[in-house]
Amino acid sequence: MTRRKPAGTPPRVLVLRCPDLLAEAGPQDQDGSAAARAFEPVVAIVEGFCPHVEVLRPGVCAIPARGPARYFGGEAKLAAGLDAALRQGGFSCQVGVADGLFAAGLAARTGTGALVVPPGQTPEFLAKFGVGVLGMPELCELLPRLGIETLGQLAGLPPAEAASRFGPAGKLACRLARGLDPRPLIPRPPAADLSAAMEFDPPAEQSEPVVFTAKTLADQMHDRLAAAGLTCVRVRVDVRCADGTEVSRLWRHDGLLSALAVAERVRWQLDGKTSPGGIILLRLIPDQLARATGRQLALWGDAVASDRVARAAIRVQAMLGHERVTRPVLAGGRRPAEQVLLVPFGDAGVPQRPADRPWPGQIPAPAPATVYPAPRHASVTDSSGAAVSVSGRAGLSGAPALLAVDGGPICPVTAWAGPWPVTQRWWDPQQACRQARFQLITGDGAAWLAVLQDGRWLIEARYD
Amino acid sequence: MRHRDDVLAGEGLLPVLPALRGLLPGGGLHRGSVVTSEDWGLLSLALVAGAVADGAWCAVVGVPVIGVRAAAEAGVDPDRVLLVAEPGPRWPQVVASLLDGFDIVLLRPPDQPSAPLRRKLEAAARRYGSVLVVAGDWPGAQSRLLVTDVEWTGIGAGHGRLHARRAQVSASGRGAGERPRSAWLWLPGPDGTVTMAADRADVDAHPARFEAGRLASSG
Repeated sequence: MTRRKPAGTPPRVLVLRCPDLLAEAGPQDQDGSAAARAFEPVVAIVEGFCPHVEVLRPGVCAIPARGPARYFGGEAKLAAGLDAALRQGGFSCQVGVADGLFAAGLAARTGTGALVVPPGQTPEFLAKFGVGVLGMPELCELLPRLGIETLGQLAGLPPAEAASRFGPAGKLACRLARGLDPRPLIPRPPAADLSAAMEFDPPAEQSEPVVFTAKTLADQMHDRLAAAGLTCVRVRVDVRCADGTEVSRLWRHDGLLSALAVAERVRWQLDGKTSPGGIILLRLIPDQLARATGRQLALWGDAVASDRVARAAIRVQAMLGHERVTRPVLAGGRRPAEQVLLVPFGDAGVPQRPADRPWPGQIPAPAPATVYPAPRHASVTDSSGAAVSVSGRAGLSGAPALLAVDGGPICPVTAWAGPWPVTQRWWDPQQACRQARFQLITGDGAAWLAVLQDGRWLIEARYD
Repeated sequence: MRHRDDVLAGEGLLPVLPALRGLLPGGGLHRGSVVTSEDWGLLSLALVAGAVADGAWCAVVGVPVIGVRAAAEAGVDPDRVLLVAEPGPRWPQVVASLLDGFDIVLLRPPDQPSAPLRRKLEAAARRYGSVLVVAGDWPGAQSRLLVTDVEWTGIGAGHGRLHARRAQVSASGRGAGERPRSAWLWLPGPDGTVTMAADRADVDAHPARFEAGRLASSG
């Protein structure tokens, strides 16, 4: 006998996380495409267990647990089987099963292997978590000040009171804390077809035109949804190849993705697979419709580009790829290469290190006009031909006399200044660096920003 | 600034920095023309700075090494700049697409373009009324700017720091009555801007400021 489920209890969901890939999708991987590509083989393994894989973000995916659990003989067995299959493929993962996506995600995050929260016990499981796990910064700041520290306490509030006191966000938080669906789905799909599709004839061999088309299709889909006053929780991307194979993938949407972001997910999906014979059909289907609550999409980041400029930029993006057409944004930092962030045109980008802070020790004006994204190797020798070195107390072994960049011609150094020691981020082994900076002028009139790091000379920038 | 649609191709002039006015025919960048600087450097950025400050949009193609802070100091607002660092083998199509939309395309060609290809891009610039600024060699260019002499100030043998650069820029051009001209500029000045430098006596009026201490830090 199973206990009768209270109304609004969400279906059983299994969430799978790859912590290694999530770490990879860190600050270096600005648009997540590297992590998305690395995640594709994991999704392929999970698809062996259940065809309806929903990729929440690169590194995290979810499947409905009920069907596969019956087939594999229980949820624990399903979770263990998945874990074993992924380990065999060389991936480490965390699996969680619970009522609803939110609880299952938490269960996956909590356990090291697989954690199954039995049906109906999700509210008890959630009760001990702090309100911080809701991921709602304003509420998470406010609630503890009112004495509500855990989800259990939040769930104890009368729902109507919570809604009137904290607004829609509070209502949502309350539903999550009580283990209910975040927002009730519309039970019947509307009659009108809200999907958008495009056939390619001749088949598209390259992914670029398909991704370009995806942008237009996503716009169409968003327009149709908006006209019906709806938003979708997920979007399904179907790609059919000329040889009849069809690849279909669900992506988290929540009404938050811009057309460009949808196109980017189509690119991730295409990157992971070869498409034999080319692509003949692309279809975007909104999945799990919900009432739109009026969130606006910013399509162009914060740049206000005229139509004509935007069109030209998008045309070039269609030729080269979304991330190869960029807007430069000034960022903070001490090294010249750190001081700019390249944001793909159409995306919003805010540098992690703001430029409007003092940044003591940054290179003073004038700034170099040529900044090498990767420093170039160089050799700096004194008049006797020995490499110039700097001691721990910034003492110089000899005056720089000759400079050769990247094994190029040797130029006499006519003027120089330094060393200026720079020690930064000693607390972070990934980014820590100790350098001695120099400015060098060579006989041909060129001025260089050189650094000595770990006993090697590097050219970071050139001034003229 | 007049909108680009209001002017016929070939007509209209994009403004340049005051320091460069004397070097260019008409004192600006003619829409539909090609202007070159010898190689990538601050001079290329200075050429587009006046127009960008006036509201023009600029695309920079083939320059992964662009120093964005130097550009900003010279007057090129990064908000009006689009970068296509690696245009790939189809760079001529990329440039042609950008000429239709951007007022200025600043290009460092990845390879030496053939004469027919150059003519095609020149025609595109004329058709769309935009300016192609090339960092490199371009035989059909209307104006060519060249740094002929440089002199850094503020730095010695082991003391001081780079403070400013006095550079002699000479210009040559095509067409009747075009005589070679030249001027001394601060390229860059102490704050990164590009301004006129007077004659040699002016050097003494800008003594080097030794602010080496500002370069050293930890944190």
